[in-house]
Amino acid sequence: MPDDPLQPDPDEDLVTRARNGDTRAFDALILKYGEKLYGLVYNMTSHKEDTNDLLQDIFAKAYYSLPRFRGQASFYTWIYQIAVNMTLNFLKKRKRRSGMSLNELDSSAQLDPGLVDSSHMANPEKQSKLHELQKRLNEAMLSLSEAHRTVVTMFDIQGMPHAEIARILKISEGTVRSRLHYAHLHLQSKLQDYWE
Amino acid sequence: MKPSVEEIGSLLALKRHERPEEGYFDDFLREFHQRRREEEALKAGPSGWLRRASAWFSSLGASKWAYGAGLAYATIMALFLLAPDSAQVQSAPPVPVNYKVAPAEPVAVEQLNALDLRPSSQGSTGEQEF
Repeated sequence: MPDDPLQPDPDEDLVTRARNGDTRAFDALILKYGEKLYGLVYNMTSHKEDTNDLLQDIFAKAYYSLPRFRGQASFYTWIYQIAVNMTLNFLKKRKRRSGMSLNELDSSAQLDPGLVDSSHMANPEKQSKLHELQKRLNEAMLSLSEAHRTVVTMFDIQGMPHAEIARILKISEGTVRSRLHYAHLHLQSKLQDYWE
Repeated sequence: MKPSVEEIGSLLALKRHERPEEGYFDDFLREFHQRRREEEALKAGPSGWLRRASAWFSSLGASKWAYGAGLAYATIMALFLLAPDSAQVQSAPPVPVNYKVAPAEPVAVEQLNALDLRPSSQGSTGEQEF
């Protein structure tokens, strides 16, 4: 959801009410953006419990920082930035604490089978191969650095444009593109043994 | 055979549909409000004051050093100004003495002999102990 300076923030009313102490307004914001932020955090951490704790901390930080939110960006961009920064900080600490093995991380995500390519539903073999491929893709994602995994998550998984990614991560669009290029090459080589 | 970048992109795009289990966000909201209630309860106590002061200080960024230096300076100046100054204690104005100073009456020799002038005890350095 790129910010358009000409368009008012669609969440302005909810944000104003939340700022004035209306907890139901903030609940509405959680329900509106929770899934999107869950996807971001989960794809970066690959750990459900960590995702839940981080998501709690992210929304708590947003809740207490609301008085300081000036509305220069949309609420979604603002909270997305909080989410990215907190997740990256968490990953740095996790790396320093211990080298987590891939076994501790969820290499196969909770994938809604109804939303996987429905043409494969009639073909269990293809369905099974697709699931296997998804599992390998998750493992390959974990082998990327945090910086590369972040841009892949934001662009390929969440569908954000380069300009928005650059703004949130405070890097140039060129850097976004070069990180994506490297990440794609890396994923290609990791998946070549499983590709037909 | 390597997958193409487009194929990688399509595979990654499937992950867009990944979502937490049913009812996750109902539990999430309950937990969120529970944590806020616990934090409010903690804030009410003295530890809450310290925590808030610490959080405020941490949020200052680089300027916290200036605030800290200013606070230290103010504390030192306050202690300096509040400490009693001997120069500020004014001695009472001299009161004219208007009583006669009469010489002591001579002590009789018999009274002097009755006095016990022996040293009672002495300290290690020769001073008299009382």
